Amino acid sequence: MKHSMMTKLMTGLFCTLLSLPAMAQEDELKDLPGYVDFGDLTSLYGEPKVIINLGGTMLNFVSMMSASESPATSDMISKLKGVRVQIFATDSNTDASKAQFNKVKGNLKSAGWEPIVQINEDDEQVLIYMKMQDGNMEGITVMVIDDEEAVFINIIGQLNPAELGKVMKVLDVDIDLD
Amino acid sequence: MNEYDEKWEDRLNALLDGELSDADAEALKSEASDDRQLARAIIEAYQLQQAMDTVHVERAPASLQKRLNAIPREQKAESRSGFTARLFQPRWAMALAAVPLAIIAVNLMQPDTPSTTEIAKARQDLAIAFAYLDRAGSITGREIELKIGQTMADALSGSVNRTFKLQNETSKEKEV
Repeated sequence: MKHSMMTKLMTGLFCTLLSLPAMAQEDELKDLPGYVDFGDLTSLYGEPKVIINLGGTMLNFVSMMSASESPATSDMISKLKGVRVQIFATDSNTDASKAQFNKVKGNLKSAGWEPIVQINEDDEQVLIYMKMQDGNMEGITVMVIDDEEAVFINIIGQLNPAELGKVMKVLDVDIDLD
Repeated sequence: MNEYDEKWEDRLNALLDGELSDADAEALKSEASDDRQLARAIIEAYQLQQAMDTVHVERAPASLQKRLNAIPREQKAESRSGFTARLFQPRWAMALAAVPLAIIAVNLMQPDTPSTTEIAKARQDLAIAFAYLDRAGSITGREIELKIGQTMADALSGSVNRTFKLQNETSKEKEV
């Protein structure tokens, strides 16, 4: 009994230690003005099908690695402080994600984010918000909900959307989202 | 031991052990001729030495010697087994197991240089994030195009209809 308790305790401790880097990276971003809390949809949709958490340190390394290929891309990535993506498969059950969508929207408004694009169609909802502080862009948030998936993207730092295409060409990763 | 014993102890011991130089020995003895207490201390010390010399040293029996020799070995073994037993107590086992985990945690927490594989993975993740952003942009563009296109079409058809209506009215007026 005592030993099984101890085993559980040790397993818990080990798991906590393993998740520390991800938690540390998330914590590092939480204090930035461009950070957005998307809440938790795992209880409804399970684990996200895509989850990306890139902190400033890792982005700096990516920027340095891209410098020789394209200084412009390297410069653009160096202005990013964090990139967070959570994508859940909705399987046509969009009620929960729409509720979360509206909740986050309310939080963004009260936190001084500015709406850039808002599309409210029956089968598709898109929302793009931007955070400005002292004339500088601090972050961009994109939420897309359709019958297949709920996408939550939070870019912390400065990003020029017009340069996305060029950067993707440089990153040269074959991605088919359809 | 009186105060004289303490005072002269080192010199008396040296005298009895024959470690005192002849000059020092003579000086001590001449001092003793003037000091009765010192003289008595020297005599007592000699008497004690003689008494000790008369005591015979009995050899211990072999069995006793064996047992006496075994004592340090047993104590050593006991202390070692005690340490091992204490080491494997649950609380110590936990503490020992926590040490490598703590080292792993400290290593993981340190902002070490990531490996090339980790950077390549981050690069891929960044591309995925941008692809989703691009997709959101495409949806937005499509919707804007649709809305503007519809508005333009409405405006155009309205204008055409108005023109047709106006032309129709003008031709009717001419006929009249």
